[in-house]
Amino acid sequence: MKDSPQTVIVVDDDDAVRNSLRLLLKSAGIHAEVAESAREYLGRFDANQGGCLLLDVRMPGMSGLELQQELNMRGATIPVIFITGNGDIPMAVEAMQHGAFDFLQKPFRDQDLLDRVQRALARDTENRTRLRHTDRIRERLASLSPREREVLELVTQGKANKMVASDLGVSQRTVEIHRAHVMQKMEASSLAELVRMMMTVAPP
Amino acid sequence: MAGLEEKTDGAARNGGSNGARTIIVAGQSSQRTHEVLRALSGFENVVWPTTLESALEESSADNAGCLVIADDLQEEAVDEFLQEARGRHRNLPIFVITDPDDMAEAVSAMRHGATAVIEIPPSYAMLCEEVTRATR
Repeated sequence: MKDSPQTVIVVDDDDAVRNSLRLLLKSAGIHAEVAESAREYLGRFDANQGGCLLLDVRMPGMSGLELQQELNMRGATIPVIFITGNGDIPMAVEAMQHGAFDFLQKPFRDQDLLDRVQRALARDTENRTRLRHTDRIRERLASLSPREREVLELVTQGKANKMVASDLGVSQRTVEIHRAHVMQKMEASSLAELVRMMMTVAPP
Repeated sequence: MAGLEEKTDGAARNGGSNGARTIIVAGQSSQRTHEVLRALSGFENVVWPTTLESALEESSADNAGCLVIADDLQEEAVDEFLQEARGRHRNLPIFVITDPDDMAEAVSAMRHGATAVIEIPPSYAMLCEEVTRATR
C-alpha cells in the first residue's frame, strides 16, 4: 500500500502553541495538521500516514505519555517528539524508554525544532521502507509450499543438499528441484541473499 | 579509595570472585565518581577500571551485570563511549549519571543507548534499585 505524503501532526491542548508550531512548520515547507487532544488524534489515527508527531506531554484527559503507550500498543511506528514546558528527567527517560524519537524542553530555538522534525521525518521514511521490504519477504515466504519451506529452513542453516535430502527422507534431485523453486519464489540470486532475507523476517 | 582494593592492572575492585555479577563503573577520578562508588559500596564485585577500553572488556565478561557511567570521561565523550558500549553489548544494562535537570544530556544519553539516566544528587536510592534489578 502506498503511504500518504508526510505530515507533521501537532497534538497540544494550547491553541496558541498549535498555531505557532503549524506556522513554523509551514514556513519551512513542511505540511502540518493539528489536534487539540490525544483523543482527537486517536480518532483519526492512520497507520499508513507517514510523518511524525509533535506531542505535548501534559494535556487534560489522556496525556502525551499515555497517547504514546496507546500508539505503541497499536503497533504504530510514527516517530514521536515530545515537547514540554515543565518536564523532568524521569519523565524524559520514561518517554525515551518507550521509544520516543526526541524530548524537547521549552523554550527552544525554532531551528532546533525544525532540525529534529527533519530527522524524525527521515527516520519515518527509513522505517517505512524497511517495513515494506519485510512485508515483501513475508509475502514471498507465504507463497512457498510446506516442503519448500522445510528446504528453505534447512539450506539457510547451512546444510548441503545431500544433508537436506537425508533429513527430509527424499532424493537429492528432489531437494535440488525444491531449492530452485525456493530461489525463484523468494527472488533470491544467492544463498547469502536468502539468509539475509530470513534474518530480516526472523532476526537471531 | 575507601572499601575498594587495588587490582593488579590498576582497576579498583570491591569484593572478590564470588559469582556475583560485576558492576562496572566508568568515570574520571572525580568527586561524583567517588560518590557513586560509595553509593555502590554495599554491592559485591564493583569494579572501576582505569581505562575505557578495560571497562568495555569487563563489560564483555559473562558475569557482567551492568555498566554505570558515573561522570565525564577523560578519553572520549560520554555519548561516543555509550554508543561503543551499546554496539558491543546489546543487552547489558547501562546507566548514566547526570547533573540534576540536565535534560539535554539525559535525552542524548537515552538516544545513544542508555538503559536509564539517573540524576545525582538526590537519586542514589534509584541508582541502587536499578543496579539491584540489573544484577539480580
